[in-house]
Amino acid sequence: MAEKADVWQGTLALMVLKTLDTLGPLHGYGIARRIEQTSGDQLEVRYGTLYPALLKLEQEGFISAEWGISDNNRRAKYYTLTRAGRKQLEKEAREWGRTTGIIARFFAPSEEAS
Amino acid sequence: MRAVRAFLFRLTGLWDKGRKDRDMVEELESHLAMQIEDNLRSGMTPGHARRAALLKSGGVEPAKEACRDRRGLPVLETAIRDLHHALRLLSRSPAFTLVAVLSLALGIGANTAIFTLLDQLMLRRLPVRHPEQLQMIWTTGPNLGSNQGSRASSYPMYQDFGQRAPAFSYVFCRYYTPLSISLGNQTERVTGELVSGNYFQALGIGPALGRVFSPEEDDRVYKGHPVVVLSHQYWVTRFGADAGVIGQKILVNNYPMVVVGVSAAGFSGIDPARSPQIRIPIQMKPLMTPASDNLGDRRRQWIQIFARRKPGYTMQSAQASLQPLLSGILRTELESPALRDAPQPDRDRFLARRVLTESASNGYSELRRSYSTALVVLMSMVGVVLLIACFNVASLLIARAAARQKELAMRLAIGASRGQLLRQLLMESALLAVAGGAAGLLLSEAMVRGLLGFLPANGMLATLRAEPDWRILAFNAALAIATAFLFGLAPAWQALKVDLWSTLKEGAGSAGGSRGSVRLRKSLVTAQVAFSFLLVAGALLFVKTLLNLKEMNSGFRDIDKIITFQIDPARSGYSLPRLKAFYQQVLENVRSLPEVKSAGYAWVSVLSGREADWDVLVEGQPTVDGDTQAFVNGLSSGYWRTMGVPLLEGRDFEDGDVDGRPKVAIVNRKFASHFFGNRSPTGRRITLDVGPRSRPDFEIGGIEIVGLVEDSLYDGPREGVRRQVFFSFPQMNQPVGTAFYVRTSADSGSMFATLRRKVRELDATMPIYEMKTLGDQLDETLGTERLSATLSAAFGVLATLLAAVGLYGVMALTVARRTREIGLRMALGARQGALLWMVMKDAFSLLGIGLALGIPCAYLLSRYVSSQLFGVVAADLGTAAVAAVTLAAVATGAALVPARRASTIDPIQALRHE
Repeated sequence: MAEKADVWQGTLALMVLKTLDTLGPLHGYGIARRIEQTSGDQLEVRYGTLYPALLKLEQEGFISAEWGISDNNRRAKYYTLTRAGRKQLEKEAREWGRTTGIIARFFAPSEEAS
Repeated sequence: MRAVRAFLFRLTGLWDKGRKDRDMVEELESHLAMQIEDNLRSGMTPGHARRAALLKSGGVEPAKEACRDRRGLPVLETAIRDLHHALRLLSRSPAFTLVAVLSLALGIGANTAIFTLLDQLMLRRLPVRHPEQLQMIWTTGPNLGSNQGSRASSYPMYQDFGQRAPAFSYVFCRYYTPLSISLGNQTERVTGELVSGNYFQALGIGPALGRVFSPEEDDRVYKGHPVVVLSHQYWVTRFGADAGVIGQKILVNNYPMVVVGVSAAGFSGIDPARSPQIRIPIQMKPLMTPASDNLGDRRRQWIQIFARRKPGYTMQSAQASLQPLLSGILRTELESPALRDAPQPDRDRFLARRVLTESASNGYSELRRSYSTALVVLMSMVGVVLLIACFNVASLLIARAAARQKELAMRLAIGASRGQLLRQLLMESALLAVAGGAAGLLLSEAMVRGLLGFLPANGMLATLRAEPDWRILAFNAALAIATAFLFGLAPAWQALKVDLWSTLKEGAGSAGGSRGSVRLRKSLVTAQVAFSFLLVAGALLFVKTLLNLKEMNSGFRDIDKIITFQIDPARSGYSLPRLKAFYQQVLENVRSLPEVKSAGYAWVSVLSGREADWDVLVEGQPTVDGDTQAFVNGLSSGYWRTMGVPLLEGRDFEDGDVDGRPKVAIVNRKFASHFFGNRSPTGRRITLDVGPRSRPDFEIGGIEIVGLVEDSLYDGPREGVRRQVFFSFPQMNQPVGTAFYVRTSADSGSMFATLRRKVRELDATMPIYEMKTLGDQLDETLGTERLSATLSAAFGVLATLLAAVGLYGVMALTVARRTREIGLRMALGARQGALLWMVMKDAFSLLGIGLALGIPCAYLLSRYVSSQLFGVVAADLGTAAVAAVTLAAVATGAALVPARRASTIDPIQALRHE
């Protein structure tokens, strides 16, 4: 089995928000699976990392939680993106885009040199 | 914002833990179940599916722990747990807790109390607009005229500064004077402040009601502004905060004036120790001080000048800008008729006068000047007391930690970190300090009330408050926290230096604690002895000073049998002839009482810190070294008999020595020996020489000395006997108040009412004030010294007791530790005396080191208090010896108890011990 990277705390929050934005209300397991799938199974989300992150987002008011029933009739806690969470997602996505853009330029072949 | 929200969430997480825990477990379990289902679906066997799910998720317990930490506030939670723990421990040993809290409460309380006074008198800024811009202005050098009070200037000088000083947006002036206020049938005496019209504007103080003075309305016409502004406090206490008072007419010194306003609440004036009840425009001065009109006189200095600096100027540049102005004014003044004929040396000194200024951001107070050194000294002393108390608590904590050594070692062994234990031990200290601080705060309020009793009661210092405000609370809290670290850190550190292996290996807990903790306690005791020596020696110096001053022969006989009171008929509108007749009538009325042996009155009340001095020349006698200063007083007949001062030669004043009769004077022995040596002064003539061309209000030449009296004190014991000349008051023609002196055979308490009645028979509305025995008057004048002596003595006693407790504790500990050894020695035949000495030697060495440290410190510090002393030098060997012997005696007593126990130990018991 290939080495899988443990997900980084800072980016995990952004991934959770984006997942909820795309898929709508979802339980913790679903979020974890979705993140792992989207990463092409390069990331592994342990719940020791995931649940504190969800708790933090809830405390900050970006997501809300509610007990519900899953597809296979199991009681599960469903997380929903709040309005504040959607705004935060937009903001962070913008910043992320900018950061990656800047970093990408550093690694792009230099134009003067060519 | 988000962080705050999250914080509040987490704070609520501290409650209802059980439900949230269950919630989380359920969530994690459902997560696990879903994972297992997925695994099954992908074809794993049930057992394998579960194992893989658990592996992938990373364990349930760590996840729970991480969530718990995120949910609550771990720091707060552990703090609360430590607090619970500490409370439980402290409540388990109530004796220790009580002793520790009590000694801290005494220490912190006393510190808070002294700081309360210090803060109000010295540190606080005036409650006015931009107090930092205020500056007091005065000049040095001879004015070639008269001065009244300190830092005084003439009114024309104030006007010159006000019109021409570039550095100030406002220059204003003020003058305190007692006033009589009549409302209906009642007359009372209050402190009034005569102020320039811009006084309130300059300070930025508005009215609470009506209006305050303005330069346009209230500073234009000489004697033309019969208006009064009441202080807010006076308005509330005297007029019941009645708004109808505005526009009301009241009689001030029997002169009708109108109340136009009440100044803002919370403003009491520029002097933090004094709060005038009413303010009056300074243009009314001649009507408010009947004896003199000096508004236009440049040779009389009596007002105090303050100013508000313009932005852009510093204290220094503002002061510098005044000097050329002053020089110009002085040159002009020298051309005036009053100074034209002044001799050259006088002119030179006059022109060399300088302007001085000082920040007035916290006001100016003469009383502050007399009390501030004493308060600073007392503050330092009381700080040392707290230090000693802290050392005692530290010593107790070390003993406790030693007893808990096994417990601490056990907890370390099973995995508690040293940091955790340190936190817990410090929490215990913090709890003690907080309890001590809170109790101290309560104590301090009572202490301040007690302290205020030491200060003179005559209206001054009425502004001082005992109730703590936020500044005092902050000081108290800071002190408590500081003490917690002071007494808690070292013991906690010591306790955690425990050697796990050996401690746990030992069977029963050893009684004594480690060698290191004993050494620490011994050094604490040594420091306590050294500090106690400082306090005891200091206290002895102050007590000796007070005794020296009190026992200094005042020259007056039985001062507790002399009652004094003051009246001031001129302020009730009496004319000069009526006033003189009134004094005579009061005298006769009082003398007619059967309990009264004799009575007299004096212009300047004695032993009250007041004085008047003039230049006196003896006709046909050259001055000695140009020194012509003599301290003067005006007396009635019978004064000397009343005061019990013997007449050495000639005669006393008689009722016939009045205006129109030949002018007579009496001199004291000091005056006579200065001018006449051993020859008789009677029959000689004296002349007054009060500055060039500037005469006192009564014209005097050719006054014949008719009597010589024994020396007696004048302003007070610190000043000593003055060279004095006494005049017959009825010949002085001055409309001033006087102090009566009555020698009585009856109890003074009952006489007060009788004397009041006798004066009221003549004028029912005449205010009578300062009624007390001469002995009480002396006590009041010695207020600072009494404060210093009493408090420092109390601190000294407290310090010695605390040090004795500390020494006892450490000696008892040593004996307990050496029980086995002592038993062995006894079994081998050591005698009791030798064992006693063995323990005492130890105690004496602590005492010796403590004294060896304390004595040089005391010597170095002594020069800071020398200005507060009288009749004893700061580095007084006798005092040091007494202090050392006292401490040694107390220490011996404290050490003797454990030493005796050691010498009476039963060897069999001792060897079985442990």
